[in-house]
Amino acid sequence: MPGKSFFVDTTLCMACRGCQVACKQWNGLPAEKTVNRGSYQNPADLSFVTYKLVRFNEVVVGGKLKWLFFPDQCRHCLEPPCEMTADDTDAIYRDKATGAVIYTEKTKSVDAQAVIDSCPYNVPRAGKDGTLAKCNMCIGRAKSGQLPACVKTCPTGAMNFGDRKEMLAMAKQRLGKVKKRNPKATLLNPNDIRVIYLVVEEPNLYYKFAVASNSSFDITRAVALRRLVRPVTRLTASL
Amino acid sequence: MKVTRREFMQITGATATGLAVSGLGFDLSPVKAHAQLFKPKYAKETTTICCYCAVGCGAIVHTSLKGDRRVINIEGDPDHVINRGSLCSKGAALFQLGENERRLTEPMYRAPNSKQWKRVSWDWALTKIADRIKKTRDATFTGKNAKGQLVNRTTAIASVGSAAMDNEECWIYQALMRALGLAYIEHQARI
Repeated sequence: MPGKSFFVDTTLCMACRGCQVACKQWNGLPAEKTVNRGSYQNPADLSFVTYKLVRFNEVVVGGKLKWLFFPDQCRHCLEPPCEMTADDTDAIYRDKATGAVIYTEKTKSVDAQAVIDSCPYNVPRAGKDGTLAKCNMCIGRAKSGQLPACVKTCPTGAMNFGDRKEMLAMAKQRLGKVKKRNPKATLLNPNDIRVIYLVVEEPNLYYKFAVASNSSFDITRAVALRRLVRPVTRLTASL
Repeated sequence: MKVTRREFMQITGATATGLAVSGLGFDLSPVKAHAQLFKPKYAKETTTICCYCAVGCGAIVHTSLKGDRRVINIEGDPDHVINRGSLCSKGAALFQLGENERRLTEPMYRAPNSKQWKRVSWDWALTKIADRIKKTRDATFTGKNAKGQLVNRTTAIASVGSAAMDNEECWIYQALMRALGLAYIEHQARI
């Protein structure tokens, strides 16, 4: 599978949130008004103007306190359920060269809730007018041979970006190394998505939607039906 | 015509629709113009050092070569020996030092016991500061202490310096403060 991919090594993430800020800055997104909720995770969740969020979780594993960091973002699925659900390549499409899943202004005209529900990773967010937004792989940067803003800024090497083959190799090599000290280490859905996370604890301790459940990749009957009749509707539309 | 990136996206979206509609209906991959271009393409690059902490990361400032020549992007300098292109959350926000609607561009003055800040001119502010420093210093200047030792100081004024000043700025600043006779000179030395 060609195109680009990320490799996110959570064992190296120190939660400085440089990626979060670099993302905001590059995409020209405004700040959000936040309150102290007793966590450094700030803002509380992804939003229409927050594409990247470092999730903080304090958990007790084997009687020891662990502070888990998870730099959450769109996974740029190889077969994106959101793209299938929207079924409108003017609204949601995959960039050929990179494989980035791109949302356009035209997402305003698709069923936003259906798209949001279709995401196994709970990523897309709707704006006030129903337009959908999420990470765009810094497509302008990726297309001109630059690293996405989040990867470029990462001081520890937790965020990596490159050709999919290279990233998969890097992920596997790193997994082998990390597994020696952390037997629970695993890669999250490496064969389905373009943002491959390496975690050392149960994925759901990092975030409920860190890993896709098997069933969430299934498409609904309505979507399947729409896909089945799509060639016919396209033809009639063009007449 | 000034086109923002969001508007540009809308325009290109409309173009893409036009292409899709004019097609035969069999084309499953309509041509799409990329809405988001690489921002600093027509920009001048200037290197700088992040002003926030003692690590001293290098950054590249992209300024527009067209129009207002304002800053359009700041990101880590990959050639810099310290950070090799990376920046933490504070460094990644450097852009906002220059391009920020909340940035103060004029001196503000709050009169004693007043709740209101008001805009004042630099001329007025600098004259007022000089005035008050001179007055306080002259009134409190001590040539010799109780033991008769030469001290030439004032203990009525203190200086609490900025964290964003570099080594050279600090030198000039402290030289000025010493010349005035200040003994309490503090600085949050970082850079």
